[in-house]
Amino acid sequence: MDQRGGVVTGGREAYYFTAPLLLFVFAFIVFPIAGTLFSSFFSDVTFLGRKFVFLANYAHAFSDPGFRQAFGFTLAFIAAAVPLELALGTAFAVILDQALPLRGFWRACVLVPWAIPSAVSARVWELIYNYSYGLANFLALRSGLTAEPVNWTGSAAGAFTALLAADVWKTAPFVALIVLAGLQAVPAELKAQARVDRATTLQVFRLVTLPLLKPVLTVALLFRTIDTLRIFDVVYVLTGGGPGGSTTSVSLYAYKYFAGGDFGYGSAVSMLLFLVSFGLSWLYVRLSRFGGEL
Amino acid sequence: MKRLFTLSLAAAIAAFSACSKKPAGLVFSVGGAPNEVEVWERLVKRFAEEKGVRASLLRQPTDSDQRRQGLLVPLKSGKADPDVFLADIAWLGQFAASGWLEDLAPYAAKDGTDLAPFWPKVIDFADRYDGRLAALPVYVDAGLLYYRTDLLKKYGVKTVPDTWPGLLAASLKMQAGESAAVPGFFGFVWQGAQYEGLVCNFMEFASSGEKALAFRDGAVKLATPENIRALAFMRAAVLKEKISPPNTYTEMKEEETRAFFQEGKAAFERNWPYAWGLHQREDSPVKGKVGIAPLPRFPGGVSVSTLGGWHIAVSRFSDDKAGAWEFVKYVTSPAVQKELALELGWNPGRRDVYRDKDVLKAYPHFARLEKIFANAYPRPNVPYYSQVSAILQRHLNSALSGAAEPEAALKAAEAEVNEAAARYR
Repeated sequence: MDQRGGVVTGGREAYYFTAPLLLFVFAFIVFPIAGTLFSSFFSDVTFLGRKFVFLANYAHAFSDPGFRQAFGFTLAFIAAAVPLELALGTAFAVILDQALPLRGFWRACVLVPWAIPSAVSARVWELIYNYSYGLANFLALRSGLTAEPVNWTGSAAGAFTALLAADVWKTAPFVALIVLAGLQAVPAELKAQARVDRATTLQVFRLVTLPLLKPVLTVALLFRTIDTLRIFDVVYVLTGGGPGGSTTSVSLYAYKYFAGGDFGYGSAVSMLLFLVSFGLSWLYVRLSRFGGEL
Repeated sequence: MKRLFTLSLAAAIAAFSACSKKPAGLVFSVGGAPNEVEVWERLVKRFAEEKGVRASLLRQPTDSDQRRQGLLVPLKSGKADPDVFLADIAWLGQFAASGWLEDLAPYAAKDGTDLAPFWPKVIDFADRYDGRLAALPVYVDAGLLYYRTDLLKKYGVKTVPDTWPGLLAASLKMQAGESAAVPGFFGFVWQGAQYEGLVCNFMEFASSGEKALAFRDGAVKLATPENIRALAFMRAAVLKEKISPPNTYTEMKEEETRAFFQEGKAAFERNWPYAWGLHQREDSPVKGKVGIAPLPRFPGGVSVSTLGGWHIAVSRFSDDKAGAWEFVKYVTSPAVQKELALELGWNPGRRDVYRDKDVLKAYPHFARLEKIFANAYPRPNVPYYSQVSAILQRHLNSALSGAAEPEAALKAAEAEVNEAAARYR
């Protein structure tokens, strides 16, 4: 048996031990994805029957104004939300990493938004933005900022911003959690050493902490990008995709096609989403040489 | 992706459970508000006792999208259960065209079931599909105009406006007068958010019956003068004349509209009949001050109430079609229809119940409803209606938000709808 460093590598036993997990991965990941890919090659509309059309569903997606709008929104939302979430999350983590009084309490507080189911938190935000009795209008009117209540989600930009706030509020804590774990793995001696070399606090952070956080940040970036790519609940609850479809996400769009009985096109749209998330993941891992550092 | 995952999971579970025995007898699938499902549970139990059969209720959620999804999965995979279910009028085209609904005509013919007491228009437009009888109406819905009787009197509005320009004038007058006393008072509230209700409202503003969205030879004309006039009016109501609140196109669905009117913050409201009972509740600030009327029209047009409601249908894959038909007869019988009306305030699918003494005593407004339902027009009964609706919702809402001009929005919608129609033909 091939032994390196006392760890058994290769050999049939490895497959036996991993078989249950592999089975799980096959049943719940590979099988559904393969199934989606398969049905995306068919025109599968409940009232028309099934017909092999190969790439026609994909071709239709690229000329479908509704899909293009949804795809554009989703990418724009990722571009706006993910950097904000990373920046805010990292800032939270750095603060929480300090020796603050009541540190445990603050850490718990920051995690609360992440712990609330997103459908519930979306409802909470809906109540904040509500035109007639929302908190935002209450504050705006009370403070004299506006004389009339504001229809916060009334324009494409307004609805986008409203969603952005709700999503960043909810997910920045997740980034904070991951980065905090990473921060604690940064050896204190390294920082102390840098101090001895007369580095400022900022320099310590930029030149010592940040490079060591890179793998952790890559993981956070990956998770947040994939998660944002399939954003559904917050949009469904908060704007319903409006106004005028401007905040319809790809997931929401695919959902509507499934409901209408067009399984082939819905599958193709889902597949495109999968390809983008796969591509972005691959890119991130490559760029950060994440695998090499572990 | 999440949907497909659920589907595959459901398929896997179904595959595993295929070997096990199926549950007891007739399965009726229904959802709705908790009090509604309670009434159904009681009905199913009584039906089972009276007929000496086994029957059970498969409980669905309240949300109608989820109810549809819950039927789509077993029907697409040809499951024997549910045997019989309630379906929204807007799904019937898709379900019937998919070959999922048992033709009830032979059963009705064999039993000599009289279809005359049902609304003929509803049966013809919604339940008949390709010469088959796909379903029967249990509950009929149609848009109404609610108005404040006290305010009309106060501002000397002698008759309830029967044209849209008339409603605009009356709204402006009342809004100008009431705003000082009631902050945030608006003339007219209706459903303009990006969802199915917007399409229903649009048909009513268009005042041209089913012509507003009619398909001829698989194509539709949307950028017609009538439709452009309607959409321009809807948009002006929010953005220019401001007789409707700014959140009309972002938040206003049925319940938001009802609450707004019920709080005494609007003179007119477009809603379905269900709002009546809630407006008249003990704790309602507008109790006793509400009237109902047919919706206004444009001069030269007709008053239109978009037809909604729930229908009962039998699955073609049912393993107990005879039993399912018995249940359909039971639910659409005068006695049960009367019970549903009295218990839930539902508007029966049968006309004879509207003239029942007990029903009229409990709901005097039913006498007026019968007349309003005569103006009811259905949404297009094409199998790809939900795709059509999604396109319409997007473009109509875009015009309401001010992002697109009414004519441009309708032209864009027309092009997309016709492309969808060609795709699904």
